[in-house]
Order: sequence, then structure tokens, then C-alpha cells
Amino acid sequence: MRTKIWTAALALALGAGAAQQAMAQAKPDVLVKQRQAAMILQAKYLGPIGAMLKGNIPYNADVVSRNATYLETLAQMPWDGFQPSTQSEKTKAKPEIFKDPAKFQAAYERLEEETAKLGKVARAKDEAGVRATFGGVAKACGGCHDDFRQK
Amino acid sequence: MSETGDSRGMALVRVWDAPVRLFHWLLVALVAFMFVSGKLDWMTWHMRCGYTVLALVLFRVLWGFVGSSTARFSSFLAGPSAVLGFARRLLSRGDASTPGHNPLGGWMVLLLLAVLLTQAGTGLFANDDVLSEGPLAALVRKDTSDQLSTIHYWNSYLLLLLVALHVIAVAYHWLVKKENLVGAMFTGAKRVPAAAAAESAATRFASPWRALALLGVAALAVYLIVNRPF
Repeated sequence: MRTKIWTAALALALGAGAAQQAMAQAKPDVLVKQRQAAMILQAKYLGPIGAMLKGNIPYNADVVSRNATYLETLAQMPWDGFQPSTQSEKTKAKPEIFKDPAKFQAAYERLEEETAKLGKVARAKDEAGVRATFGGVAKACGGCHDDFRQK
Repeated sequence: MSETGDSRGMALVRVWDAPVRLFHWLLVALVAFMFVSGKLDWMTWHMRCGYTVLALVLFRVLWGFVGSSTARFSSFLAGPSAVLGFARRLLSRGDASTPGHNPLGGWMVLLLLAVLLTQAGTGLFANDDVLSEGPLAALVRKDTSDQLSTIHYWNSYLLLLLVALHVIAVAYHWLVKKENLVGAMFTGAKRVPAAAAAESAATRFASPWRALALLGVAALAVYLIVNRPF
């Protein structure tokens, strides 16, 4: 019994340690690729909604609903990839992200909020609501780029 | 000043035709708007006005070959010795007025046109990584569009720098050399020494109808570039 408990405790400790180590050891170049991938996918799912609202392609409420739902999730993904260890990587991320993390957090939380609003109306197939909330998402993207992404 | 000027043998001569003057002031308004709309992300109007700028600049380039003599590149692009000679005159106490572009200003015209053309040209291929992209961005790879967007961004500051230099030079002419170039760009007439006035009697003004036709050609070219109907 005693051996069993010790084995379990050891296994747990090793497991936790391994998990923690995996987090700590996330390589900076991998972190950059991951956060960029999340951003690129945001562009992928944002673009068609924009084209529909501009009238370039026909409005499709199902696609809007799916894309907005993806966006809502994607909008939460990139931010934990902005670790200090990535500062020496070749990216367009401005040093301001690490100098003023509170402002950066406010900027990405704004995107999370705006995409949540869009997702809600998109799933309700509310086209007028999509038109009303879409601009907020686009502005949240652009606003953060202006402050935190190099030209 | 004008009386003493006249007593020294100054004369009022017509130097700028209406197309050049209209081009100049329209461009001033549009470039100002382009900066504001670019910064505030008014992309629909930024693009529309950008097409207008492109058409105007293309017109000005054509007018530089077949327009009035003071508008032609051949009349105002001078060699290095003329430029240096003029720069010396500009810094000395004497009169440095010229009927038309002076040898330094002439090169500034070319530089401004080149930078404007670069700005409009890169804008056609640019993207903002959110929703807006120029009408030709779809023709190139994303990384190419990104590079051209970067040039579009930095070139706008180069343009701003050249505009500042241009304004400083005009202010210098006004305050130090007592030449009113701004008034001349409004009225088309400039006060120059009698000797220079005699020279400017040779100025040949092209028909405004030709200007209108060339503007039509430039506008059509921009329409075809932007809409690619074929």
C-alpha cells in the first residue's frame, strides 16, 4: 500500500514537473509561429465576412455564424505567445508589448470582447447585428496593429 | 516694395497656365486629405482620393512633355552647373527670380512627382492586414503586398519631408528674397526683372483643351488600372 502511494506521488510529481517544463521550454521561435498562425487564421475567417458586408460576395448567414464562432476562439489564442523570451525573434511585434503589458492586454481584451459580441449576433443569424458589431472587430484589429505591430 | 521693384525694372509676366495651377492646389488638398484619411483609417475615401492623385500625377507627367513651355521638364531640368550657380545666387544678396521653375525647384518638381507616383503605385498593391487592400493587391503574393505596404508607409513620410522642404523654400523666397511665389501659383503671374521678362516672352502656352484631353487620358488609364475590366 505504502509503496503504491509513493509510486503514485512520484508519478504525479514527475508528471506535473514534465508539464511545467514543457510550458517553460516552449521555444521562442515556436511561440512566434503559433501566435502568428492564430493571427493568420483570424484573417482567414474575418476576410469573407468583410467581403459579404461590402457586397463583394453574397451574404451567407451560416458561413458568418461559423466564421464568427471561430474568430471568437481564435481571438483568445495568440496572447500567451507573447513571452519575453520571444523578444529576440525576428517578428513585427513592437517592444511596447513588453514595455506596457497593461496597454497590450487592454488592446487584446478589446478584440476578445468585440469578437464575442459578433459571435453572439452571428449565431443568432442577425444580419443587422453583424453589420453593427463587425466594425468594432475590425477596429480592434487595426487599433492594436497601429500600437503594437511594426510597419 | 513693388514700386521700388518696378523702378528697378521689374515686370509682371504670366508664367503658370491654369492646368498647372489647378493641378498644384488640387494636389495640396488631396495630399493633406490622404494623410488624414490614412491615419484615421477612412479607407474607402483614402482609396478614391488616391486614384485621383494618381490620375493628376499622370496628367502632370504628360503635361511635362507636351504642356506649356514653363510646365515642360525640358525647360526646367537643368544641369549641375546651372543648379550650383542658381544656389549661389539664391544665397547671395541679389535677385534670384526666374520666370518659371528655378533650377533647384525644377528638380524638386521631379522628385515630388516621383515620390507621389511611388506612393500611389504602392498603394494599389497595399494591404492593412485586416480588411482593406488596394485594387491590385490580389495580383501579387501576400508577402509582396506586405513589402509594398511597408514602402507605402515610409514613403508617405518621405513625401511629408519633401513637402516641408518645398514650403520652407517658398517661405525663404518670400521672406528673404521678397518673391511671392504663392501668389504666382494662384494668379499665374510673377514679378521678375525686365531682362527675365523679355526671356519669358518666349513662353508658349498650350491649349487648355489639350490639358483636358490629357487629363481624360490619365483618368481613363487609372480607371483601367483600378477596375481591370478585361
